[in-house]
Formats: sequence, structure tokens, C-alpha cells
Amino acid sequence: MAHPSQLGFQDAASPVMEELLHFHDHALMIVFLISTLVLYIIVAMVTTKLTNKFILDSQEIEIIWTLLPAIILILIALPSLRILYLMDEINDPHLTIKAMGHQWYWSYEYTDYEDLGFDSYMVPTQDLTPGQFRLLETDHRMVIPVESPIRVLVSAEDVLHSWAVPSLGVKMDAVPGRLNQTAFITSRPGVFYGQCSEICGANHSFMPIVVEAVPLEHFENWSFIMLQDA
Amino acid sequence: MSLAKPMMRGLLAKRLRFHLPIAFGLAFVAAVAFKYTVTEPRKRAYADFYKQYDAVKEFNAMREAGVFQSVRPSGE
Repeated sequence: MAHPSQLGFQDAASPVMEELLHFHDHALMIVFLISTLVLYIIVAMVTTKLTNKFILDSQEIEIIWTLLPAIILILIALPSLRILYLMDEINDPHLTIKAMGHQWYWSYEYTDYEDLGFDSYMVPTQDLTPGQFRLLETDHRMVIPVESPIRVLVSAEDVLHSWAVPSLGVKMDAVPGRLNQTAFITSRPGVFYGQCSEICGANHSFMPIVVEAVPLEHFENWSFIMLQDA
Repeated sequence: MSLAKPMMRGLLAKRLRFHLPIAFGLAFVAAVAFKYTVTEPRKRAYADFYKQYDAVKEFNAMREAGVFQSVRPSGE
């Protein structure tokens, strides 16, 4: 989850998010390069006594300020496209989970083997136990096996929602009547938080997402217990 | 006695010849500084983290701390 006064991304918990972090650093480096250049030129322009009443033309500078931006754009586009295609690679998921958005909670269905389904409501602030995070905790978490490719099919039962977990580099709109697919792999065990990312009414800010990545053996025990309780 | 004729041409070009290399140089320095103070350390930090990472040990530590909902600490 994010910590107070955080400016940058959350620590990556999936290989795709790591790639996105590195790409962001690359793009921001180019942004600083251009901003420094432009700022220096602006300062130089406002601190001169030179004036020019005549229109000038110069083929050389026109060529420079056409070619240079084109090169910069290519330097940004190549890694960007690489990640775009990386995110769309067929990765043979071990598990498929359906995440359905409702007003105002998520429900998860694990229907690969048995029919396991449950709702995931936010824990109200007054019911939090010490150590829990305000507006982020849920009564039932989406538990997955760690280091396994997971496919999530996202949809909605009423209005638009969006299923997002920043540390996994995942965000997918939940559109009623449409099934959207996303996939990820967790690099390490842990608990990863997200929040609904499409305005959906009064409690849009109060339907968080919690993904819990545990070893396969524990995931199997959990799903067995959840099926019995259902 | 006559004064030397002041320079009346090429003033902008002279200014550009002075300032543009500095502008591009500073921009390049800013980019390199960002690369070696942010980009490379972040890449190294992630590589180092996973080089020594023991998922089982970390999972057990998190489990005993009561972080998980699906797996209770071994005493419970």
C-alpha cells in the first residue's frame, strides 16, 4: 500500500510492474532533459537586451528542432511498445478468477475446479483491529498462489467499476455486460492493496481490493475451508 | 580622433554560440544525474533484493506476524 506523503509508485510485486517502474524512470529522465533545456532557454530569452524586428528563417535550426524531438519520441516509444507487448503475452494461467464489481463491493468467483464464490466488503473504520489499514481492508481477501500466472476476468453487475492493484501493475475496467481479461504473476508472497478506480456512486472510495499471495499448499487449504464454509 | 565602430551584427548568433552549448550541456547533465542517482540505483535495488530473497522464510515471518487472513500463525 502507499505510505503517507508518498510521491512515486508503490514497490513492484510483479515482473510487469518492475518493467513499468523502469520505463517510468526512463521517460522521466527524458522529461528532466527537455525541461532543463527549455527552462534555460526561457531564462536566456527573458534576460536579454537584444530585440529583433525582422522575421528570420533558418533551415538549420528547423532541421534540428524537427529531428531531435523525433529521435526523443522514438527513444520513448521503443521501450513503451516493448512493455505493451510484454503485458499482452500469452502466459498460460494456472488459475482464473472472476472479479465482479457491485455497488459497493467486489465479489470473487473461483470456478476452475469447484464453485467457490464470496463477497469482499470493506472493513468499516470502527471495526478495524490494530495494525489494519483504514479504507483498505476487506472482510474476505482474494487469495492466490504466489509465483503462479493468474488470469482475472473483470466485469460488473451494475455500473462501471475498475479493478486495480498498483503494486501488481494491474488495472482493468469492470463494464456491465462485458468481460475484460487481465493477468499477472506475483513475484513474492504478501498482501497487496488496491481501490476501485472508476467512479461508481456514493461509496466508490469504500470498495477496496486486497490480494493475498501465499504458497500453493496454503492456497489449497484456504479454498478447501472456504468451500466448506459456503 | 574617431571611436572604433561598435559591433552591430551577429549579436544573436554570438549569444546563441555562448548559451546553447551550456543549455544542452546542462540538460545532458540533468539526464545523466537522474539516471545515476535514481534509475540505476532502483534497478540495482530490485536485483539485489531478489538475489538474496528467500520466499519461504519471508512467508513464514509474515505468517507469524499475523499478516495473512488465509493462513494463521502456526501457534493458532
